[in-house]
Amino acid sequence: MQKQRSLLALIAVLFVAAIVILNQVEMRLGLDLQGGSQLTIQVRPSEDVRTITPEVMEAVQSVVRNRVDGLGVAEPIVQTVGDDRILVQLPGISDPEQAERVLGGTAQLDFRKEVRNPELNAEVNVRRQELSDLLLKQVNLEQEGNAEAIEANKAAIAQKQEQINELSGRLYERTGLTGKNLEYADPQPAQAGNLWNVGLEFDAEGGRLFADLTKELAGTGRTLGIFLDDRLISSPVVGAEFAETGITGGRAVIQGRFTAQEANDLAVQLRGGALPVPVEIVENRTVGATLGRDSIDRSIYAGIGGLVLVLIFMAVYYRLPGVIADIALTIYAVLTLASFALLGVTLTLPGIAGFILSIGMAVDANVLIFERTREELRSGKSLYRSVESGFYRAFSSILDSNVTTLIACGALFWFGAGLVRGFALTLAIGVLVSMFTAITCSRSLMFFAIGIDEFRKPELFCPDLTTVNKA
Amino acid sequence: MKLHIIKQRSLWWGLSATAIAVGAIAIAISWTTIGAPLRPSLDFVGGTRLQLERDCSQPSNCSEPIQANAVREILAQQGLENSSIQVVGNAKQALSIRTSTLDVEQRTNLENALTARFGEFDPQKKQIDTVGPTIGRELFASGILALLVALGGIIVYLSFRFQFDYALFAIVALFHDVLITVGLFSILGLVQGVEVDSLFIVALLTIIGFSVNDTVVIYDRIRETTKREQGRSIDEIVDDAVNQTLGRSINTTLTTVLTLTAIFLFGGDTLKYFALALIVGFISGAYSSIFVASTMLAWWRERSEPEGAIAPEVATEVDSSSSSPDS
Repeated sequence: MQKQRSLLALIAVLFVAAIVILNQVEMRLGLDLQGGSQLTIQVRPSEDVRTITPEVMEAVQSVVRNRVDGLGVAEPIVQTVGDDRILVQLPGISDPEQAERVLGGTAQLDFRKEVRNPELNAEVNVRRQELSDLLLKQVNLEQEGNAEAIEANKAAIAQKQEQINELSGRLYERTGLTGKNLEYADPQPAQAGNLWNVGLEFDAEGGRLFADLTKELAGTGRTLGIFLDDRLISSPVVGAEFAETGITGGRAVIQGRFTAQEANDLAVQLRGGALPVPVEIVENRTVGATLGRDSIDRSIYAGIGGLVLVLIFMAVYYRLPGVIADIALTIYAVLTLASFALLGVTLTLPGIAGFILSIGMAVDANVLIFERTREELRSGKSLYRSVESGFYRAFSSILDSNVTTLIACGALFWFGAGLVRGFALTLAIGVLVSMFTAITCSRSLMFFAIGIDEFRKPELFCPDLTTVNKA
Repeated sequence: MKLHIIKQRSLWWGLSATAIAVGAIAIAISWTTIGAPLRPSLDFVGGTRLQLERDCSQPSNCSEPIQANAVREILAQQGLENSSIQVVGNAKQALSIRTSTLDVEQRTNLENALTARFGEFDPQKKQIDTVGPTIGRELFASGILALLVALGGIIVYLSFRFQFDYALFAIVALFHDVLITVGLFSILGLVQGVEVDSLFIVALLTIIGFSVNDTVVIYDRIRETTKREQGRSIDEIVDDAVNQTLGRSINTTLTTVLTLTAIFLFGGDTLKYFALALIVGFISGAYSSIFVASTMLAWWRERSEPEGAIAPEVATEVDSSSSSPDS
């Protein structure tokens, strides 16, 4: 009896602690529940960096983190998954397109100088002229609205741009001044129209390199090539007045005929630094905030509804032990949720499913015990002995069945990804807590009840006991 | 009520075999028509799914339902003819489009074109899923790996706690449940276009866990009785064990299925088919534990240990004492 009392006291303490925890610690909700974007970024090897080492990953991760910070999202998560992937979670984001553009863009900025090659230069100029003709034609076509012609012209424009890229790649040579020398970048309105520029500020070394570069080019008629991801985005001429010293002070402006949005995205990417290797977004799962809210509400209501039915069933079918099981199940649910909060489990939709299933397991443990108790009662044992052996005999079944479930959870957790792992974790925690509550909680409550005279009636445990005994 | 499962075992096995055969036919049809046993979602094959809902708070935005044909035209203009389009929601104000993998630009173009034609969509209700083909393959491979590891772990554990033949028939029962569930979803894929995603793999693993649970409880009883009443025929022991645990099997399955049915009927879309898979798997699990795993174990032991039956003295004695409360 003494042992029962102290166990009950322990459970009461745990229960109260669990409720306090649930009130204090906020449950972390997965993006599928609160809405937001989850992006998986694949890091690819490049010509310069042939193998993805942990150091490379670290560098990429810090760049990605910078860019995420540039987006201004609250509580983002950036983490490395596997050897060559980065997972980014952006809760409650409203513009997933911007996030994708900014995070997935390679944005390797570098400054190159034009080499002396008049023929190549002339050819580029011809192609440029052709391109601007095509662009002009595009405007006219769009007014006419002939879909087929627009498509054809678009393809021609893309092809022309490709040619120019290829040619200009040969026309310019690298100078060693790249995005890593960049201190700051911001969008600036251009003088004419709705166009925007991006202002740049270099560090000390970058400022020196830029001065040398402009000094070399000044007055020669050769242009300075600004390349973003190997695409020429701007090719300004440096005036002869800079021939003495070059452009000093470490500032420059990229005039790329950007829209406000493009200029802003580019500035964010540049501020985030240059990525050492190209990246690609290979997975994007975005759930609108309302949509997440809606599915959590519906699933939770459905789960609670089902649970109430289970509680009623247990009380009706198993009588007093059923009521005790209901109390134990309620304690179980609160303890499990508190463990989730305490262990920082992120609750996702499958996670909720895992929790609801673990309640099924907890019910099963009680059912096993009560069925066994009834059997022992029918075979003529005393109430106390029946309850005792009910718990004792059912234990090996409970253990074996729970261990097999835990094995399945383990497999899911180690090999599964994302949502699958959340499910495995919540189910496993649920199974462990349910073993604890079925054995300590139900047991102590049961013996406590038997200790009270009014409850010590076999018919409260097994309704049709007498008929069975007579037969 | 007492079930005599051993006597009618050919009936039970026949029922199971029929159910599995129907599923196998569906899988075969599915394989020839769509090239996969089940209709795979983009989780496994990659692609982009875009779900949009019109913003009905704006005046006259939702005056008429969205026409699937109009959506198809827009998709065709963007070179996405091979996409599947569904107009969803009660008032036909929401769209679900599945295409090949789109990058940001292509997706933005598509969204802009749709907005231009149908009016503003509510960003709060937008859902985008893009899965690259490699990620899809990996998800599938890791799912299958998880299934195999779980199976191996369960066989080892059961062989250790019981005996190898127990483990073997538990696995037979488990395959039974998995096959029936997969078969049903293959049929649903053919008839209703239901797709299986990574949650389906989760469902299968959970079914495996619960199927073994059920079997273990009966096995536990068989083991206990065999130890206590040596020399009784295995058929009787199994019959008794099943009957003694029947109440538990029914009640546990009932309570679990009760909750799952609530989720299936009233829960969110994501969990709907997950719940259905579990319902089918659990019911099949209860059935297979009682009617397949136990009867097969009895059948096997009968054949492999004929000397168990030749112990007339002990057998009769135990028989008379144990049969009396039932009669």
